[in-house]
Amino acid sequence: MLDFTEASLKKILTRYNVALEKEMTPEEAAEELYPKDEFVYPIAKAIFEGEEDDVIEGLQAAMDAGQNPITLIDDALMVGMGVVTKLYDDGVIFLPNVMMSADAMLNGIEFCKENSETAPVTKGTVVCHVAEGDVHDIGKNIVTALLRANGYDVVDLGRDVPVDEVVASVIANKPLMVTGTALMTTTMYAFKEVNDKLVEKGLKVPFACGGGAVNQDFVSQYALGVYGEEAADAPKIADAIIAGTNNIAALRDKFHKH
Amino acid sequence: MAATRYTSMAYASADEMSFGVSKHPVKAGLGLEIGAGYTIPEINYAPRPEAGASKEKLIKEYERITTDVMSRMVQVGFPAIILETEHVQQMSNNPSWGAEVAHAQKTIMEEYHDEYGIKCALRHTIGDIRENREFPQLRGDKYAVFLEAFEQCAKSGADLLSVESMGGKEVFDHAVLRNDIPGMLYSIGCLGSMDMEMIWSDIAAIAKKTGTVAAGDTDCAQANTAMFIGGGLLDKNLAHTLAIIARAISAPRSLVAYECGAVGPGKDCGYENIIVKAITGMPMTQEGKTSTCAHSDVMGNLIMQCCDCWSNESVEYHGEFGGTTVQCWSENLAYDCALMNTALETKNEKVLRDLFMLSDRYRDPQSYVLAYDNAYKVGQAIVKDGNDIYLRAKNAAIECCDIVSEGAAGKLALSRFETKALADAKASLDSLTDDMDKFMDDCLTKYKSEVKVFLPENYGL
Repeated sequence: MLDFTEASLKKILTRYNVALEKEMTPEEAAEELYPKDEFVYPIAKAIFEGEEDDVIEGLQAAMDAGQNPITLIDDALMVGMGVVTKLYDDGVIFLPNVMMSADAMLNGIEFCKENSETAPVTKGTVVCHVAEGDVHDIGKNIVTALLRANGYDVVDLGRDVPVDEVVASVIANKPLMVTGTALMTTTMYAFKEVNDKLVEKGLKVPFACGGGAVNQDFVSQYALGVYGEEAADAPKIADAIIAGTNNIAALRDKFHKH
Repeated sequence: MAATRYTSMAYASADEMSFGVSKHPVKAGLGLEIGAGYTIPEINYAPRPEAGASKEKLIKEYERITTDVMSRMVQVGFPAIILETEHVQQMSNNPSWGAEVAHAQKTIMEEYHDEYGIKCALRHTIGDIRENREFPQLRGDKYAVFLEAFEQCAKSGADLLSVESMGGKEVFDHAVLRNDIPGMLYSIGCLGSMDMEMIWSDIAAIAKKTGTVAAGDTDCAQANTAMFIGGGLLDKNLAHTLAIIARAISAPRSLVAYECGAVGPGKDCGYENIIVKAITGMPMTQEGKTSTCAHSDVMGNLIMQCCDCWSNESVEYHGEFGGTTVQCWSENLAYDCALMNTALETKNEKVLRDLFMLSDRYRDPQSYVLAYDNAYKVGQAIVKDGNDIYLRAKNAAIECCDIVSEGAAGKLALSRFETKALADAKASLDSLTDDMDKFMDDCLTKYKSEVKVFLPENYGL
């Protein structure tokens, strides 16, 4: 069987991921980012490690010391999740770490809510759905997890969502953004119908779309469409909106890469 | 029929395998013999989004596509072509739609065959519509419609019957996003294999009744999901060492189709098909560099190494400078096949096979394991415990880990991250029981609790 010498191999391909790997391990990088507060540190670390039981234990200890459960959401859980999302954005950790951390964080938020009579304040609401006729929802599930991890309240309409149900949810929830994902070229056509009905009702909410066969050219064809190439673009688009970039053209200018 | 398990390899050695030649060639369609000494281009396409608005529009779209492909093949002088129509959901949910499309396509293909003698066949890949909005519904009413779609298409002109079935996907989607190796093993290796046995027994019976070919399945819903999430070298969504473990586990799952009566050619996006070919000796379609119109991968040349049909995955139908997309891509595929067939006719096929393989062998752990010599080893690990669907899937995963580790000791460069993910996966596999019943019981309890859309009754559990 044919094979390369080491020298000839280098002329054929480059393993850029190996060549560019960060020196620091994920654990070392996280350690540098954890807050040093005696109650927040173990909670943030447990979030990073995706250890749900340890998150609850840390929250309980903080509450036993008199800390407000709702304040702990922002000051401990979101801070821990902030470490995770920063390391993901920096390319230090991978998506499964974020998903496991998000599970642990959401568990922690529920625990805080159960121990408080007031409701937490989120950064805003996003309505998420998979296009009508499409049952492929792993992309949407990643988007919702990343949005929640970044402090957004998500109304998850699920998969194969009728156009009118998306529109009704926008009217009911007044989200800062709608997301739509689809795998197939034929189902993504529903995005245009959602767009047309939103426009018809005067609802000028940014409509971030992506997934499988969806591309920037298609999304650019309808008035409210903003193309997200990666699931991780969803919280970034939402962040841009709450920072004041709520004009569709400006969002496209910022997020359309092609 | 009950599954007849594979407990031995079709080939005595990996080096026996080549493109264009299989142990068990398949006759299909209008004059084709697949895996009988020549490779065949297989063009796959998707209608434009607006074409799904009505049955009439869809049929017209597929007529245009079919005519475009057939005319280009004749214009450039290619002797054979397979057309693959992957159903959009309307065509499988309404079996008469799929049947009318098949009839319209086959009518055009027959005209070209009669006039020019071009050999051709039509594959219809039925959509796995066995879901409702909230839950998978693998059995019951939806299943009846699903089978009806196969039968109507087979009676109306489809020659090759395929599906990308989704059994186990609801658990897999949860597991793959959490680096959960037992979950991947359970979803693909166990749940997927159990569902495959049910559907492929029925599809093979339909093929027998209608005189068509039960061609095979692919683990697109799971192993390709892992591959796509894994992405390129710089993507940070899944370690490629985990993506290839999912792929290795998918081989015994996709094998089940052939254990239940399918005969090939296996469907294009099953990158596991090289392992399946080593075990079954049946012809396989593959896709790689020619599927960049649909997705990127890290083994575009390598995966041609032992293909019998060569595909482009799927391309949306629209115009390009050089014609419509289906004309451009079918011509690309056909030129690749012309090169492979030249190698076969001049007895240079092993040289070309090895050039394809070597150009990508060290590009990624995924390509390293799917290099035909290593794929053969995964096949051996599967047939060693061929009668136990759990154990053979676990064997495949462990063999995959061992192959990558051996490679990393040589010229396969891994990042520290990939190395750690591999070590964690291997430790997880080593801690698992060899007892299928215990594994199934433990997983049933765990995933019923963790995955709300997992309904054990979908699998007869």
